[in-house]
Amino acid sequence: MDKLNKLAQEILAEAKTQGADYAQCSVIEEEKKEFNVDGGRFSLMRTLFNRTVVITVLKDQRKGTVSINRFDSDAVKTAVKDAIAAAESGQPDDAWQFEDKPVETEYTEGAPECDTDKLFVRTKELLETIREKHPTIMMEQMITVHTSWKIVYMTSNNVIYRSTSGNYHFDLMYSAHEGEKGTSFFGSGVTLKDLDKPVIECGFIERDLASIEQQLEPKALEGKFTGTVVMAPYALSGVVLSTIMFNFVSDMCLINGTSIWKDKLGEQVADPRLTISFEPYSDDVVVRDRHTGEGYPTENFDLIKDGRLNSFCLSQYGANKTGQKRSGNSGNNIRIKAGEKTLEEIIAGIDKGLLVMRFSGGEPAASGEFSGVAKNSFYIENGKIAYALTETMISGNAAEMLMNIKEISKDTLNDGEVSVPYIAFEGVTISGK
Amino acid sequence: MLKDILTNKKGLFETGVHTELRGQINRNRRVTLLNGDVMGNVRSEQSGVSARVYRGGVYGFSSMAEYTDEAAEMVLKAATENAAFMDKHAGIGKPALPGMALKQLPTQEDIRDCEQKIYVDFARGIDAYIAKNCPKLVSRAVVSMEDSMEKLIVTSDAATGHILAPRSYVYVELTAMTDAGNPVVLYVPLGGKGTFDKNFSDPAAYYGQIDKLYERLMQKREGVYAEAGEKIVVLDGMMTGMLSHEAVGHTVEADLVLGGSVAAHNLNKRVASELVTLSDFAHTAFGAECPLPVYIDDEGTEAKDVTLIRDGILTGYMNSRESAQHFGMEAAGNARAWSFSDEPLIRMRNTSIHPGKDKLEDMIASVDDGYYLIDSNNGQADTTGEFMFGVTMGYEIKNGKLGKALLDTTISGVAFEMLKTVDMVGDEICWVSSGMCGKKQPMPVGMGGPALRCKVKIGGR
Repeated sequence: MDKLNKLAQEILAEAKTQGADYAQCSVIEEEKKEFNVDGGRFSLMRTLFNRTVVITVLKDQRKGTVSINRFDSDAVKTAVKDAIAAAESGQPDDAWQFEDKPVETEYTEGAPECDTDKLFVRTKELLETIREKHPTIMMEQMITVHTSWKIVYMTSNNVIYRSTSGNYHFDLMYSAHEGEKGTSFFGSGVTLKDLDKPVIECGFIERDLASIEQQLEPKALEGKFTGTVVMAPYALSGVVLSTIMFNFVSDMCLINGTSIWKDKLGEQVADPRLTISFEPYSDDVVVRDRHTGEGYPTENFDLIKDGRLNSFCLSQYGANKTGQKRSGNSGNNIRIKAGEKTLEEIIAGIDKGLLVMRFSGGEPAASGEFSGVAKNSFYIENGKIAYALTETMISGNAAEMLMNIKEISKDTLNDGEVSVPYIAFEGVTISGK
Repeated sequence: MLKDILTNKKGLFETGVHTELRGQINRNRRVTLLNGDVMGNVRSEQSGVSARVYRGGVYGFSSMAEYTDEAAEMVLKAATENAAFMDKHAGIGKPALPGMALKQLPTQEDIRDCEQKIYVDFARGIDAYIAKNCPKLVSRAVVSMEDSMEKLIVTSDAATGHILAPRSYVYVELTAMTDAGNPVVLYVPLGGKGTFDKNFSDPAAYYGQIDKLYERLMQKREGVYAEAGEKIVVLDGMMTGMLSHEAVGHTVEADLVLGGSVAAHNLNKRVASELVTLSDFAHTAFGAECPLPVYIDDEGTEAKDVTLIRDGILTGYMNSRESAQHFGMEAAGNARAWSFSDEPLIRMRNTSIHPGKDKLEDMIASVDDGYYLIDSNNGQADTTGEFMFGVTMGYEIKNGKLGKALLDTTISGVAFEMLKTVDMVGDEICWVSSGMCGKKQPMPVGMGGPALRCKVKIGGR
């Protein structure tokens, strides 16, 4: 840590010497230990040693950023020079603003030390358990990795964060096969701070595997109708949550004026049961972002509270550009307040609809319109899962869907980063063959 | 340019064990203008060295963010230890890979690193033209960028080479509002292989493409929703490229075949109409250099073309050296890594359906009720061959004539079923190369094709 701290001080001093009005840098040392499984068998072990230096300078309210992965003083001096040259080539923008209250903090979190042998043992155990309990599952690829970071973030305004952190991450991509029959692939993942329990018990891994095994005999749905669509956590993130983030509440869409929610602060934008927050300080987050890219300390915030738009998700730059307030963090660690019914109870209340596990669609339009394929999905009829589906498309408008929520589940996916339930939406267009 | 400090490390390679040592620099320069304001102004660079060692059917890999003698020796040692660990605990006793031709491939031209001002000034030139000539916009974004890769590859039992692969683009995104107050967006990438200064000397050279983009956006403002259901469509060349890459290409990557893709059961079977031939080209296609040529891969295999579908029959897979040994096929240079810290994966290079004999006008004239689909912003496909592409620009076809423009929609289908419906193939190839293929690591790829007449399922209201 001392080495990184000294380098950060040298960078800021160099930036000052070269004429920067403001400078900030992140000096990062990262190490990864990783096991790969391909086509159902171990294929690779990797050990990576990386470094990153990111330098941002402000000169005459013009900003430039340079990123390199070398720590030697020649490379760092050149990087500072390039950052200043980049800034000088830009144009002044009064909206650039960075934290100016001094902060100095140092913390350790997650799992900074890797137990490589245990990571291998847990990976092998997971692979063998899946083979035994879910024999039709083909593990197309599994990546299990421990990452550790030492980071010094320092600015010329005496804002200093020093962190030592690490986590284990398991990423699985798989499909089910029987003879020549095969399902669509599906991905499950989980981030952990320890390897105390078998990984199959974490997140939704077991539940997802069992579900994919049920998809070996899919049928095409006939015709087109409007029905209820229950979106599982990954599908929800892939359609509705990403549309909210990129098209409705973040810097870009609010600065360029394309957000359809730009004048909706404080207004009802969703069913009153919906509360969406970003909570890096939730207990179950393994490694949290404690400051924004502009140096401001983070805090939890509600994006939508009881259906009302409570805040946008803006940086200080975005806030200055739009005349709105900076948000409590950069949109990390999403939490959706759970409902009261189990998934089973929700399905029991649906006459005709879909349970969508994954969504493969085009980028939603700025208006919130989307369409795409309901992957790894099931047809629901008379309150029961009837059969798995193939080639079924869904389309709708994410903003309208938020007003048409039928149920929110009490089952939630908690994967060490986010906490997301199933949500059932009414009035979605479903089209089969 | 990377100085060769790796060749003299070959003495440290373990005898009889396949070993690769790679030095690499990735450079990225990017300027983002949003409505004339410089929102992003970034230069980034990543360099280092990596080693990969194959033993008993498993690999060990290590990398370090430093290009020095010590770092090369350290990663070689760590990769060898990792291979030994894997061989001991998870090895499957496979023999060594068959040796390849030991040759030195020639170095390509050097990469000129342009100063940031060149990116900013060019983006401003384009932005000023848009601001002046496209009055009905609510927003405009211009991004000028270059990403380049330089690799020095030294192997124990294959070719060695020094690769220089720059590409540069200007992305233009225009947004307008419909009368109902809904935003509509269109986007075009300009540029291709080569450094920024070579591709972009005069903004005026691109005004014509911007005018065309604006004209189409104005048509899209008045656009209609596609009617959901299965339709006869004419896919323009860009869409065919997406189909070649996403829906077919991925399913015939040998690692995904081993993971159970649909191609595992279809080798030497009919998967498309006899009008369809599809290849993954290495560096030269249809008499010209490919958009992103590849001469050697990161396993030291000299790159050759792979024919994947010939006259509608599935004829091959894309391989690494290891998968080629497994399938009894020839490795053709598809194993590529994105960054110094990445191991080679099986990747496409320049994937395209071959041109046919039909004229685009005749193809459109032959459709009574369907769509002409021109541009896409993303595509995803499954290992089952089921695909989905976002469609950002297209027109209705009514009685053989183009009708109204379409609002954003998606198309989907199952590749090996949909390709059997191809009954006309255009005579002109369109290539695109501005995107990144995603598969554990990003990778620049070229994809292309002629216009196709076929049946697909289209989303809509």
